[in-house]
Formats: sequence, structure tokens, C-alpha cells
Amino acid sequence: MNRAADQSEVNPLREGLSTRAVPQPCSVVIFGATGDLTHRKLLPALYNLAADGELPPAVTVIGFARREKSDDDFRREMEEAVRKFSRQTVRDEIWKTFGQSIFYHRSDFGDEAGFKSLAERLDKIDKERGTRGNRLFYFAVAPDQFEPILKHLKAVGLNKACEGSWARVIIEKPFGSDLASARELNRVVSDAFSEEQTYRIDHFLGKETAQNILVLRFANAIFEPLWNTRYIDHVQITAAETLGVEGRAGYYEGAGALRDMVQNHLLQLLCLIAMEAPSDLRADSIRDEKVKVVRCLRRMTADEVSSNVVRGQYAEGAINGQSVPGYRSENNVDPKSMTDTFVALRLNIDNWRWWDVPIYMRVGKRLPKSGTEISVHFKKAPFVLFNKETNEANVLVIRIQPDEGISLRMQAKMPGTSFRIEPVKMDFHYGTSFGKASPEAYERLLLDAMSGDATLFARRDEVEEAWAFIDVIENAWSEKTNAPELSFYPAGSWGPEEADELLARDGRAWRRF
Amino acid sequence: MPAITENYSLGQPVEIGEIHKELKKLWQERENAMTRASLINLALYSEKPGSLEKNTQLIARITENHACRALVIGANRKSKENRVEAWLNAHCHVTHAGGKQICSEQLSFSLEGPCVKLLPSVVFSHLDSDLPLYLWWQDDFPDPMDPQLWAWVNRLIFDSQTWKDFGAQMHLVETAQEEAKQRIVLCDLNWTRLDKVRHAIAQFFDHPASHHHFSKIENLKIDYGSGFKSTALLLLGWLGAQLNWKVNEPARNGSCRFVDVNNHKIDIELRQREAGPIGEVTINSSGVQFRVIPAQCEDLLEISRSGENETALPQMMPAQSNDPVDLMTQELLRGGPHRVYLRAVNCVRQLL
Repeated sequence: MNRAADQSEVNPLREGLSTRAVPQPCSVVIFGATGDLTHRKLLPALYNLAADGELPPAVTVIGFARREKSDDDFRREMEEAVRKFSRQTVRDEIWKTFGQSIFYHRSDFGDEAGFKSLAERLDKIDKERGTRGNRLFYFAVAPDQFEPILKHLKAVGLNKACEGSWARVIIEKPFGSDLASARELNRVVSDAFSEEQTYRIDHFLGKETAQNILVLRFANAIFEPLWNTRYIDHVQITAAETLGVEGRAGYYEGAGALRDMVQNHLLQLLCLIAMEAPSDLRADSIRDEKVKVVRCLRRMTADEVSSNVVRGQYAEGAINGQSVPGYRSENNVDPKSMTDTFVALRLNIDNWRWWDVPIYMRVGKRLPKSGTEISVHFKKAPFVLFNKETNEANVLVIRIQPDEGISLRMQAKMPGTSFRIEPVKMDFHYGTSFGKASPEAYERLLLDAMSGDATLFARRDEVEEAWAFIDVIENAWSEKTNAPELSFYPAGSWGPEEADELLARDGRAWRRF
Repeated sequence: MPAITENYSLGQPVEIGEIHKELKKLWQERENAMTRASLINLALYSEKPGSLEKNTQLIARITENHACRALVIGANRKSKENRVEAWLNAHCHVTHAGGKQICSEQLSFSLEGPCVKLLPSVVFSHLDSDLPLYLWWQDDFPDPMDPQLWAWVNRLIFDSQTWKDFGAQMHLVETAQEEAKQRIVLCDLNWTRLDKVRHAIAQFFDHPASHHHFSKIENLKIDYGSGFKSTALLLLGWLGAQLNWKVNEPARNGSCRFVDVNNHKIDIELRQREAGPIGEVTINSSGVQFRVIPAQCEDLLEISRSGENETALPQMMPAQSNDPVDLMTQELLRGGPHRVYLRAVNCVRQLL
């Protein structure tokens, strides 16, 4: 969205060819290069960008990890991963040149000598491949590894770029586990890289439909006049998955659904839905408006947490006709675990636009369907004329994933001589209307980072404000006395009954998903 | 009932006055099995014999990526008969996500003799309401052009590569554009043909540190395939217009000369070779050579930059296919006005 990011002079030959900031040649150093994220997401995304001609030719990838291997070993490993996980078929001709841009650098994260030799290697790559001193450091490692890496990057001067070049760092969630740890993490990062150099990735924001929320709201005149407490009854945000904890028990046991999903993905979506129109499309203009939403979230007291937040954990059940174990029976999970695999919340945004409009969020594992959707429930028409007996509200649904699209439910007269009214749905599917497949979120976000466009990345204050809100809930849950109970739900159900009661108390119900 | 086909037949003949009724029947009967989709009205006009069948094949493939209502019109002005015939069919494809059948409808018309004048009436009465009209005119434009028709067109698609007289045709198009009450975007498939090669050239100069080369370009060579001189001239026109060059010597015998704002001369060589539309492009600037060549596999471009103190690192980028469906698919993905194209055209005029 930031069209002029980081480019002091415009290339006249780019006019009309690209409506986005142009990515610049750079070295992409991936810390944690032998990990799952690199295999499944990062290298396939970089390959797809190269195959689509979106990647500047000089871009060079340097995998940094502890295991002993040569450049060729790493290339072979990456080729296998890309062939397995890429959205498009790997072409030998393209891989041949792309593969030659991949290198491996072996070092421990705590070994300064390894960083010194990395710096030397990057200088050499600059000269040989024309990466012009631009460096993008991608932290595909657990947060506890951030500090030694950042310390050594700073020690060898890789956190600073020469004049006319840049150094940027992309960090993956979790951005802390509470406000204190997030602040500490941000302090550690900011000790080496300034906020302008820091890109906190939330892959939900790279999804086409998430970006389309701003277009829907601010490029269509019909919605904005209705987008307020006068016409909107409430908003629901659901992020459901059929999967259980899979191989992530180690992380998930300490995180839970609230930290894993609500603090970042769901609050980011809420910001896009609830923010005011930014003054322009610069990254900070948009992020300024988003952070205001989080600041306006009504902070709950411990008692209010009990009545406004439901936490649940899946028990044994069935998904798609197949029996699945309960969370406590999963590998590497404490049999007495109190980790939340489901959370439902009732939130309020204390500003003029959203006064008295409750926001209901639910997120959970082992639910009957997978998908992320936002539904905006409008107020009902007056109970006169046709609406005396049946009175359904209009609902605007934004489907983030899968089957990205938008639908609007409205009332229509059933054919016949009587005035029978039934709801009908107007449906827009990205896949139906636009034949072209959307790029993967990581493709878009990597390109943005190379272009210096931080719009779709979380800013420090956004992250910290979100943790400040979440901490109140976590603290209430961890209280020894009067702590809200953990409710259990059978796998394959829509969560504990308490989640339904949360809305029923307000005379509402979760939308049929 | 009209056929829902994935083949290339024109479908079932229908009475021209019954088209709306038959369309309704078509979709009612298939409502649960497939989704009807349309983002644009895409009208194709050709006077070439056999164009209806050929364009039906094109539409069948274009609708894989661009749901539309297609109006395929074949005309024969010279016919002594005065006849209008119509057919109706649909092209259905499974979406990328899989599962759903997405269908676009095609209305085909054959206009013979004086009926050709009914073209605007045929188009206007069968447009899907509220959707823009893209008209793909596949022949040279007639003089004068029918102002009634242009008044409804949002994007006019043509291929200047096939024009017999570039200057005269462009004059006609621009006059029609000026006279039209609404904005018409001119979409030249000959320009679309240059899309990837322009990307490939532009990326050499993305970094501000490369910009000094603009003022040091000494010469450039463009190879083009047989019949694609106009494509090469458009590429040259683009470079000239974007880099503020002025024509010093027009194109004669495969060479011409520009001067830049500092009166520095740039020698151009245009060579016809056994190649696709555009073959090798070489730009020499103060000891550095920027080179774009078609790769052996044809659908990729090999790009490289080399100089005295630089190692050439060839990279691959996608090449633009010359297949009309690929060109159309690419063109339909673009939005907005093509201002850069119009500037390139102005420069080409000076070169001719």
C-alpha cells in the first residue's frame, strides 16, 4: 500500500507496470533455516515470487542454522521442500537459477565468530550478486533465540546498513507471552534495530480478504454510513479449526488459544473491521488507526472476565466421523493441563462509532469446520409491515479463509400470493469472480518487507496494547481464588455450552457457520 | 435446451428476440449444479471468415480466468444476403479451488449484408446490466467509426500489430476516444505483448544507484520476429517516452537515433531475426551491458547485467506468451488508463 516506500528516486520505466512499491535486491538471511517454517512457507514463497518474476534477480537467500551442511546439501533440501509445498509446479529452468541464489551458513546462534563470518560472506555476496548492501533478517526461530542473534548481529554491525542501503528484521509470532515479555522482547529487538527496521509478521494480514476489508469499507460508499452503532447490532469473529494441537504441544501448552490466536490474528482482524478511515495509505497512517481500536477496547475487571470470557478445552469426540482423543490425551500434553483450546469473548469498543455494539469472538481447535469469518449483524428493521412475524437481520459476512469472499443476507418475498418473507444470500466468491489464484500470504509479506512497506506488519504499540488487554484475562484465569472455570467440549462440537450462553444472555446466538 | 459445453461449438441456434428467454431457461435448469458468473461484457467483433468458431475457442479459454458475458460477432459486409443469426451456449470450468463449476454465457451473432449496421443494436440489447463493456475489435477500424457504438465502450481492445497503417488507424481510434462521451481506455494487445520484456528491462533500474545509467546509454539493439516491427517500435517508443528522449533520426533501414535532454546521442539498431515478437534486447551504458534474451524454453526470459568489474548472473523471468488468449488474460488483469502507452504511441509517430 505504501507506494513510495524507501525509494528516493522513482524508476521512470516502472510507471504503469506496478502499482506497488518495488522490492529491492537484497540478501535474505533466514535464522532457523532447517525448521518447518522455512521448508513449508518461506522457501516456497520465495520460489513462487521468483517464478512469477516478482523477485529482483539479485535476491540471495542465506540459510543460517546449527546443523552441519554444505550449500549444495541445503539447496537439495530446499528443492525437495519447494517441490512439496510450492503452490505452483517447480520448473527446472527456474530452479536452476533460483537454486544458485541459495546459500547455507552454519553457526550457533550464540557464536559471535559465526556472525563475523556471516558479515564477511554478505559483503562478498553484495559484490558478486549485486545485493547492494540490503539485508533482510528473518527470525524463523523461537523467541528465546532472538536475544543472542540480535546481540551478535549488533556486535558485528549487521544491524546497520551503509548509506543508501537498508537492514530489516522480520520476526515471527509469538511476540511475547504477556505484556511484560512483549515489552522485554521489543526492548531486545529495539536495542539492535529501530522500529522502522522491524517487521512483525502476522500472516493473517497477508491474506487477500483481510486486505479487502479496507477496500470493502472505504472504496464502497454504501457501507460506511451504516458502519456504526446506529445500524450495527453486533459483530462476530470466528476462527475455527478441525485440527487438534498436532505437533505443537510443546508451544501450545504454554500459550493456549487466547495467546496463540486472539492476541494477534483476531485482534488484527477486529482492528481492520473497527478502525476509522486512515488519512492516506501510508503504513503508519493505517497502523495509527488500528492501534486506536485496541486502545479503545474496554478493559475487564476479574469479575467481568468471568462473565465475558469462556475458556474451554476439547475432550474426546469425533471429527468428520472419526474418533479423536481429548486434548489431555495428546502427545506431550500434561494429563491435567488447564490450557485453553477454545475461547469465546464478548468485547466492547469504547468509542462513538462502536458504543453499545458488542463484539463476540470465538476461536477453537477440534471444531466441526475449519474457517475464519467475520460477520457484521445489522439491526433489525422495525417490527411493522412485513416484519411482524419473521424478522431476520441483515448479515454481512466476510470470509477470510477458506473460500474467500463476501456475502450479504437480506429478506425477500417468497413467490406466491401471500407475503411470506424468507432470508436470501447474495454471495461473492473470489474464486468464482477472479480466476487468478491469490498469492500465499507469505509471498505478499516477504515482498512488502523487501519494498519497505510495513502496512501489513504489526507495530510495537499495537502488539503491546493487545497484550495489555489480553493480560487482564490471563491474570483472571490464573488467580487461585475465584478463577473462571475451564469448560470441556467434545471434539467436533462448537465449543462448550457456556459459549452459547454468552450470547444467549444478550438475546443473540452464534451465526451458523 | 441450449448446450452447456466445454467444446467449441456455437451452441444452439436461437431466435434473436428469444435470447433473454432462452438464457433464463438455460440457467434455471442448471441452477443447482453450477454457478453463473460475469464480471464484464466482452464483445468480440471480426469480419474474417470463420471468426465465430475461432473466437468461440478463444472465449472458452478466456473464461477459465475471466468470467464474462461474451458477445461474439461475426460480420460479412459484402454478403448479398441480409441476415442475422444467433446462438447461445455456456462455457463451464471448475474453479482453481476445485469443486465448483463456474459458467460464463456466450451469445454469438452472425451479421450479413446491410445488417452489419445493426452492430450497436445487437450489442446494446444483450449487455449484462451494470457491467462494463470491453470491445475487442479484431480487424482494422472502419472510417468513419460508429460513434453510437463507441459511446458505450469502456475498454477498446485491438492489436496494432495487425494494422496495415499504424498512423491512420491510431488517428481513428484517438478521434473516436475524444468524441466518446465517456472515457474509453485503449488496450493494445501489441502493448500487452511487451509487458514482460518491459518488466525485465525496468527491473535493471529499480535501485536508485542504477539511475545514473539512464543518462549514459550509448546504444541499444532490439531484435524482432517477422511481422513484429511495430512491436519493436512500441518498445522503443516506450523507452524514448519514459526517458525523455527526442527523435533525432527517424527509423530507416533498421536504425534510428534519439537524443536525450543533454543532447547526448543514443543509436538504435532494429534487426529482424528468427525470433518471437521480441528477441534479444541489449542496452549499453558506460561499460555495462543490460541484456534480455528469450530463454531456450521460450516462456522465460534470461536477463543479465554485465560489465568490466561485474560478473554476469543470468536470471530467469516469465516471458509474455504471444497466444491471443494469454494476451487477453493478461490485458484483462490490468486496470486503469494506459497513459504510458499513449506516450509511447506519440513517440512511435515521430519514429515513423
